Amino acid sequence: MTEPVKRLIVVGGGSAGWLTAGTLAAEHQAHLPTGIEVILVESPDVKIIGVGEGTWPTMRNTLKKLGIAETDFVRDCDASFKQGSKFCGWVNGQQDDVYYHPFTLPEGYNRLNLAPAWQQQRQHIKFADAVCFQPALCERGLAPKQITTPEYASVANYGYHLDAGKFARLLQKHCTEKLGVKHILDHVTGINSHPDGDIASLATRQHGNIEADLFIDCSGFKSLLLGEHFGIPFVSKKDTLFIDSALAVQVPYPEPDSPIASHTISTAQSAGWIWDIGLPSRRGVGHVFSSAHISPQQAEAQLRAYIRPSLGPQADDLPLRQIAINPGHRQKFWHKNCVAVGMAAGFLEPLEASALVLVELSAAMISEQLPATRGVMDIVARRFNDTFSYRWDRVIDFLKLHYVLSLREDSDFWADNRSDSSIPDSLQELLQLWQYHYPWHSDFSRADEIFSSASYQYVLYGMGFATRPRATAQAENYNQQASQHFQENARRLDKLLTALPNNRQLLNKIKHFGLQKI
Amino acid sequence: MANHAVLDNVTHKDLRVITERSARYGDNIACSTVFPIELRQVQAQYPIVLRKNADSGRFEPIALFGLNSQENLFLDEGGWDASYIPLSVERQPFLIGVKPNPGADSELSVHIDMDSPRVSQTEGEPVFLQYGGDSPFLQRITSVLLAIHEGHEQNRGLTDALAGLELLEPFTLDIQLQDGSKHKLAGLYTINEERLRSLEGAAVADLHRAGHLEAVYMILASLPNFKRLIERKNARL
Repeated sequence: MTEPVKRLIVVGGGSAGWLTAGTLAAEHQAHLPTGIEVILVESPDVKIIGVGEGTWPTMRNTLKKLGIAETDFVRDCDASFKQGSKFCGWVNGQQDDVYYHPFTLPEGYNRLNLAPAWQQQRQHIKFADAVCFQPALCERGLAPKQITTPEYASVANYGYHLDAGKFARLLQKHCTEKLGVKHILDHVTGINSHPDGDIASLATRQHGNIEADLFIDCSGFKSLLLGEHFGIPFVSKKDTLFIDSALAVQVPYPEPDSPIASHTISTAQSAGWIWDIGLPSRRGVGHVFSSAHISPQQAEAQLRAYIRPSLGPQADDLPLRQIAINPGHRQKFWHKNCVAVGMAAGFLEPLEASALVLVELSAAMISEQLPATRGVMDIVARRFNDTFSYRWDRVIDFLKLHYVLSLREDSDFWADNRSDSSIPDSLQELLQLWQYHYPWHSDFSRADEIFSSASYQYVLYGMGFATRPRATAQAENYNQQASQHFQENARRLDKLLTALPNNRQLLNKIKHFGLQKI
Repeated sequence: MANHAVLDNVTHKDLRVITERSARYGDNIACSTVFPIELRQVQAQYPIVLRKNADSGRFEPIALFGLNSQENLFLDEGGWDASYIPLSVERQPFLIGVKPNPGADSELSVHIDMDSPRVSQTEGEPVFLQYGGDSPFLQRITSVLLAIHEGHEQNRGLTDALAGLELLEPFTLDIQLQDGSKHKLAGLYTINEERLRSLEGAAVADLHRAGHLEAVYMILASLPNFKRLIERKNARL
């Protein structure tokens, strides 16, 4: 139990595997003899699913820690900037039913809650526009920074849209060439155990038994180690989140210089929603739906109807790829000397792009808390399981919120989503609370919440939720302070509208000139 | 709007260019890009710093003439009070036109901004001689334009090398003038001397071989000129 944890094996070569291997290798100096040893075993046959083309702003820090230049990332991964999400048709499906969940926090969010002040003028301005300049930048197709802004620094907070296959290849190259990760392409044919049940080694076809102290399962839906070998049960969330199918398609731009949206566009349909992600070279579009509420044929017809206005009849010939989604997660994520990251741990649905951020958070926690010995591993495992059970629950609450607040009645999908029995107690409690109280920092208990109270504000008030104000008086100068913040937001927007280039212009410039490090 | 024309000795046979230095002719500029070839002369007069080109985000060295936009503290009734004027100021109102030539060197030609207040028929230096030959003034301008053309490439080599070795650092200059007013110059970069001193031998040798080491020390040697620039500012209060 006192033997040091020195050798790690990551199973699986998708984004989850390489991000985890890279994070561990970078922080624990895998390229030095004194560091840890990180081996990534990847089956030569397994096809990478490559979902998760959207990231959070956290990805900037993750990439920086890995030592990848942002210029290389943008060039090699067909990446573009994402400043948040635009939700169309989620409330009632009307033409003007649009709201934003931007990545930039409401103005003055650490000092003042602007929601009460906005509520007094809700007829005149949308919540996100009143408190944040970013939706207006997105509407005008502007980039979140300038060519003179250093790499990974922002003018407006941003994450990325990226080609997941290219991303895995860039990570592989960087991890193996710069960070000292060993890459083994081989089939795992068996798992050998210690008498106490820990995994001792992986049996492979050509490399024999490969031993390690910690095994990180990034094998995707297969969940080879945690699911298949250890039999940790899968907890289905299908009763809460109904999406179980996806149809994905790559959509070419009509012109080489067509604008690139710098936000994910999410458009509600009769039994699901369509994602629309702009990369420099193409759009990635897909329909996720509930097969209990709509047939694949109907879903396909809705998807093609969505693409047709931008592409014409060509929309009917684009090949579709069908992906099954089984929403849920493993009952626990770290068991004995094995921890699962990415789809091997679970997957819900693409809404709000929570997949890659959970990978980043998992990799960061494993790396920060990397047990020194097998003896302390069980303590770390317990803490990891607590943290991630909490995180999955919060993600589920937040995703469900989007469906619960909808007023759509065009299929049972939306009505079923609103039925109490499908809504987690924790979310029902929050919704009750927020009838009288505006979401604020102290509504959530953890320092590093996945979705902050600001995100809840954007979705709640974007979707028309009304908080009944307290009958008693506000602090005397509250309204004055709030109006200063509203004015400050408008001032910033004015400045940014002239200072920022359009999204494609900036991406072209980065390809041509690169971004400076400082 | 600039009105650029390709210079030719028929259309422009009587053209003259005023070379006097004055705000009237657009010399009221607070800085200009400078090039490695002239850094030795520039550092004797002006502070040299780096900034990012607004179009490319790449670093380029500049000479500072003033502390506010459109302020040139070297300009007075008598002209430009310095023994050296940077090439990119001297070239006005001429520009170089580059026509890419596949498989061969690009074709270069001299252009002129016909809307420049320097353009005249009566005053200033003749551009062409009586029978159409280049005047000594135009010969000088042509060599200035060529030096600038090559200078852009040299700047790129220099700043890529400096950025690659992480030898640049941002700095902000806080100035208090004699009348108590405060000025702040931001968005500027200079050589990180600590990094420079700790640079290992091979990297220094590379810089030297590429001709960048001299530029680095010229930039450092120019820094005392900030004091002279502020003195000029105080003298005008």
